[in-house]
Amino acid sequence: MSGGLYTQLLDLACGAFLLAAVIVLWRRELAAIVRVFALQGVALAAIAMLLGLHEERWDLIAVGLGVGVLRAGVLPYLMRRALAALAADRGSEEVRETQPLVNVAASLLTAALLTLLAYAVAQPLTALDPTPATRALPVGLAVVLIGFFVLVTRRRALAQVVGFLLLDNGITATAFLATSGVPLIVELGVSFDVLLAVLVLQILTTRMREAFGTTDIDDLRELHD
Amino acid sequence: MSMVPAVLATACGLGGAGAVAGFVLPYRLRVPVAGVLTAGVGVSGGAAGVAALVGSRWSAALPGVLPLAGVHVAVDALAGLFMAVAGAVVTAVAVYGIGYAAGHGAHGLGSRTAQTALPLFALTLVLVPVAASVSSFLVLWELMALGSLLLVLTEHRERSSVRQAGVWYAVMTHLGLVLLLAGFALFAAQAGGETFSALRAGAHVLSPAVRGLVFVLVALAFTSKAGAVPLHAWLPRAHPEAPSPVSALMSAAMVNLGVYGLVRTGLDLLGGGPAWWWLGLLAVGGASAVYGILQAAMASDLKRLLAYSTSENMSLVLIGVGASGVFTSYGDRPLAALALAAALLHVVNHSAFKALLFCAAGSVLRSTGLRDLDLLGGLRSRMPLTAGLFALGALGAVALPPGNGFISEWLLLQSLIHGLQVPGVAVAVVLPLSVALVALSAGIAAAVFVKALGVGFFARPRDKRAASANEAPPLMLAGMALLAIGIVALALVPGLLGDGLDRAVGAVGLPGTGAVSGGGVRVRLADISASLSPLWVVAALTAAILLATGLARLFARRRRRANARLWDCGGGAPTPRMAYTATSFAEPLQRVFDDVLAPEQDVNVTPVRESAYLVERIRFQHRVPDRIEHRLYDPVLRVLAGAGQAARRLAGGSVHLYLGYGFAGLVVLLLVLAVGW
Repeated sequence: MSGGLYTQLLDLACGAFLLAAVIVLWRRELAAIVRVFALQGVALAAIAMLLGLHEERWDLIAVGLGVGVLRAGVLPYLMRRALAALAADRGSEEVRETQPLVNVAASLLTAALLTLLAYAVAQPLTALDPTPATRALPVGLAVVLIGFFVLVTRRRALAQVVGFLLLDNGITATAFLATSGVPLIVELGVSFDVLLAVLVLQILTTRMREAFGTTDIDDLRELHD
Repeated sequence: MSMVPAVLATACGLGGAGAVAGFVLPYRLRVPVAGVLTAGVGVSGGAAGVAALVGSRWSAALPGVLPLAGVHVAVDALAGLFMAVAGAVVTAVAVYGIGYAAGHGAHGLGSRTAQTALPLFALTLVLVPVAASVSSFLVLWELMALGSLLLVLTEHRERSSVRQAGVWYAVMTHLGLVLLLAGFALFAAQAGGETFSALRAGAHVLSPAVRGLVFVLVALAFTSKAGAVPLHAWLPRAHPEAPSPVSALMSAAMVNLGVYGLVRTGLDLLGGGPAWWWLGLLAVGGASAVYGILQAAMASDLKRLLAYSTSENMSLVLIGVGASGVFTSYGDRPLAALALAAALLHVVNHSAFKALLFCAAGSVLRSTGLRDLDLLGGLRSRMPLTAGLFALGALGAVALPPGNGFISEWLLLQSLIHGLQVPGVAVAVVLPLSVALVALSAGIAAAVFVKALGVGFFARPRDKRAASANEAPPLMLAGMALLAIGIVALALVPGLLGDGLDRAVGAVGLPGTGAVSGGGVRVRLADISASLSPLWVVAALTAAILLATGLARLFARRRRRANARLWDCGGGAPTPRMAYTATSFAEPLQRVFDDVLAPEQDVNVTPVRESAYLVERIRFQHRVPDRIEHRLYDPVLRVLAGAGQAARRLAGGSVHLYLGYGFAGLVVLLLVLAVGW
């Protein structure tokens, strides 16, 4: 693969990766959010595989494939199942992020600011070794920040799960871009961790709905000391 | 080949074995075995100290013992002096402690925790002066604090006040550790190394401001450990609530290490300094000497009284150290050496008599369950040996001949009085004031110990528990006898210590004075025309007392003696309630120092329901609170509690809020990074 094409494709994948995170902030339908998250998983897998192809490291391509299966296939499937259970139980009220703590327009503006911040912070890192991969590094950081922002502002438990996964996607992308691939064993461990976390959160969501009739996590306020 | 490393290794081995024995052995074996091993720690540690005093030096680096920094150890005469004192106290108190804990149940001092902590605490007491790098020193210092904290908390099941004292002690000692860490970290960073030799070599590189800051931080921590105001509040709480052998160890060995740290850092590592450091130390010492002994005069709890007296004696030592620093900064090195020698000699003397006093108080407490002097009395006939030993200790504490405390206070006063030849306005103001404060505290100390001895041991018992007291078991008496021998030796032939004291003073770079040399009999001052012969003083006093009593007998024989009932003014036989109590004895002093002590009194009069003129009941309450504690600590504690309450509002219960804190923290950090780059 020629250097120019590689750079173009990598930038495209990173752009899609960042765009997916922004769209998660924009959409209110949880089903749509999950779809966008699956797309982001595809973009992440593409980043990993592009890096692998460029450096001709087959283990990296294998990791990219695994990441793709997990983040574009298994995790969205699990979330869709939880969503279906919610929809069957309580109708349309629970499957929309009706009232985020920060409204959509402000969220999008904040995402822009966070991206700027990520670029500003990553400047010295990029300056160390200006390859196409490290130049795309701020994208990963921006997604980390946006994921955190989703965690802070979204009310529905499922939206929280997506926020957490965005955060993790961002960390994974940063790791790939900064180190051109983490070892297989580390990535396996992280992925397994994420899978378990999602399973646990899915169960928690179900229990919450059964106990409180809603998945708005602000209703957990009673639990403080 | 120096014998120091071998002896120190023995001490470590014995201490470790003692801790293991205290942990695994059943109660019956635990106390004697751990006690004997602790005594072994004391003997070997003391032997190492004596070897260092005699002149052997040793230093080593053990890189593998602690991660990263390793352990650096060094023994010189100054360290040796404190090791010898700690070793001697540990030995005697360990013997005493076996008797104290044996047959008293598997709780309290006989418990597994206490018997595990005791050998380790004893070991750290001996080892702290050995440390020769900041990290080793702080590790040992902290181990010592933790060991003593565990031991203070020993009787927490019996009294809730023990828990309170434990909290105070833990907070204050860690506050001190934080100050030490800050001071030493600053020092080591500026001097470019953390071993004491690197600090000593790099001290002159520091700017005066940094040196001053280091000294203030470190001196605050060390004076707090030595029990000087204003950071003394832990001492009168922790010492009374600890089991008596532990009180003795803390009061006679642990607080000394505050002085050691101050001398080591201020005079040795920082190499002296400007006069304001030492004038500040003199001021702190003078204020807390008088304050401590006044609080002791007001205390009716025997162990609290002794604890405040510790505060006073350590303050006298601080005065000596401060005077030594002042003289050094003005270049009068012989006088500086004399003041430091007086201070160190007072450390030794104080350790001897205070350990004995706490042990004797412990015997009283163990036998009667009472610490309140107002309830004691009449113990002289029930516990004659303990009473005699307490009297001996009290004699040392009152700074009058022939007590051992007299010699060191005399030396201290000599150095202060002769300091007037040093030029400077500050010196001309401060030194006479210090002389006055030392004299005042010595005077009040006499009243304090007359009260403790007279009210506690003479007169008639005011409580049936005091009336049914029994003499302490032989092992406790043996431990106290060891200390008594030390006191008598120090009082009669202090010159035996002379060369060692000279070397200890020399270890910080001051010339030896030969202050207490002279064949062990006379105390002669090298550059000052003054001398004292303790032995002759004792002989003269004994002769005078014999003469007085003999003459009295001679004249009394002429008249016939008739035994009759005491005249009671027709009011019936006097009851024990009519005798002087500790509170009533202290009342005149309290009136004199009313403005300083600010006692609180409450009179509640309840009249009979029908008439306002007929009184049914009068309730009188009288307290002398620690005023510094009220003024200084209460506001701080209130602000802290208020801040804690206000901080509860931060935790609103919303998960989003908590996540938001994390997010905001991250973004702010990144912003700072981005802007600061």
